[in-house]
Amino acid sequence: MYYKQTIRELMYLGFNSVAIIAIISFFMGAVVALQTVYNTENPLYPKYLVGLGTRDSMILEFSSSVAALILAGKVGSSIASEIGTMRVTEQIDALEIMGVNSASYLILPKLIATVLFNPFLTLISIIVGIFGGYLASTVFGTMTPEDFIYGIQYAFIPFYITYSLVKTLVFAFIITTVSAFQGYYVSGGSLEVGRASTKAVVFSCLLILLFNVIITQLMLS
Amino acid sequence: MIRVKNLYKSFDGRTVLDNISVEFESGKTNLIIGQSGSGKTVLLKCIVGLHEIDKGEIWYEDVLFNKLNFTDKKEIRKEMGMLFQGSALFDSLTVEQNVRFPLDMFTEKTYEEKTDRVNFCLNRVNILNSNNLFPSELSGGMRKRVAIARAISLNPKYLFCDEPNSGLDPITAILIDALIKELTEEYSMTTIVNTHDMNSVMENGEKILFISDGVKCWEGNKNEILNSDCEKLNDFVFANSLAKKLRSLR
Ligand SMILES: Nc1ncnc2c1ncn2[C@@H]1O[C@H](COP(=O)(O)OP(=O)(O)OP(=O)(O)O)[C@@H](O)[C@H]1O
Ligand SMILES: [Mg+2]
Repeated sequence: MYYKQTIRELMYLGFNSVAIIAIISFFMGAVVALQTVYNTENPLYPKYLVGLGTRDSMILEFSSSVAALILAGKVGSSIASEIGTMRVTEQIDALEIMGVNSASYLILPKLIATVLFNPFLTLISIIVGIFGGYLASTVFGTMTPEDFIYGIQYAFIPFYITYSLVKTLVFAFIITTVSAFQGYYVSGGSLEVGRASTKAVVFSCLLILLFNVIITQLMLS
Repeated sequence: MIRVKNLYKSFDGRTVLDNISVEFESGKTNLIIGQSGSGKTVLLKCIVGLHEIDKGEIWYEDVLFNKLNFTDKKEIRKEMGMLFQGSALFDSLTVEQNVRFPLDMFTEKTYEEKTDRVNFCLNRVNILNSNNLFPSELSGGMRKRVAIARAISLNPKYLFCDEPNSGLDPITAILIDALIKELTEEYSMTTIVNTHDMNSVMENGEKILFISDGVKCWEGNKNEILNSDCEKLNDFVFANSLAKKLRSLR
């Protein structure tokens, strides 16, 4: 019964975020690489540090946490305002009257879609970010491609990917549930829907920041 | 048949419904009338269980509805159709998908059978060639009619309409009233309609409940309504100047 809804949400909440995540990751990767190039011009630092720095910043923080903050703004506000509008225009009441469990009908497909798809967004972000760093540092940053590629392979810890994906799953769960909750319990009119979607973004971001610290302490200490 | 006994409902300590008792009969169009803000919508939503009630009993035939758990309520809800004051069509679905929605949820029919049923219901409310439009592309009256089609798609035993003809032109309003009455008789449904439109009262009022500030003031039918001695009801019925004049002539 939820199959069609889930596909729709995958398109709507997942695929529609690929472009924004890719663009932001590309530029962030580029900037991180350039910053490393310009701040490590001391000949004592090996060149490959740039590749390594870009890789680890993307995997450890950017592609999971910062991307989640961006998704909280995009996906969270859209979930809260969609469900909130359904609440104030009595569409949720209409579902209830038909005997449909409105909470699970509306929220479950979104939760499945984001939890399934956000790990791919994270992987896309890592790859595109590193590629951005590669382009920037070799085109503007006087690096050789060999140095950069050596850097991204140097001392690679596969567990960091696991850590990054675990964070992504938790953050996807936070964004969807917090935003859906805010939307579902709106009462009033369009003003309140707007407020709920702001609250959804703010609360999701705060929880993401908090859980970022908790998960990091649990997994990397 | 739906029976309401000693119903109380308040919001944050403000009483909205005060000791309402009434019986709605099947095969009849039962009307709830009253001024704006008198508590009609709240009463209807209490009856269908969208609002928790504070005190009282709501009976569907011989089942005490307000004490049922979610699963048992769901069984009765499959037999309900409701038209909301603002239509409440799903705006991400087309007209056809809206009417199909309850069928998809609760029947095992094939796609073609469902399509037939959808077209039958849309025909019934006179919506033609609009199957692929979205609710935002319809006029207010069309939205109401599509919402009626959705409400009757499962052949409900109970039909609830919250101001089905408010904000419509007189001709469309009368059409919708007639439609509701026809459907009610054809399928001998128990229909409850909220309205403050005197035209529908005089057309459809086989059983009328008048509430004022959440209190039941009067109960009767359209033949009795003009001769009641309830002061508040008379103010309501003879509100406009034409009606006042007619009354003074009698
Ligand atoms: N969810 C709610 N929370 C608090 N008060 C409410 C709520 N819903 C309705 N009320 C109050 O209950 C009273 C009755 O409202 P209701 O919507 O039933 O009026 P109505 O008779 O349907 O009016 P109208 O003809 O304008 O639709 C109003 O005073 C309203 O302020
Ligand atoms: Mg109302």
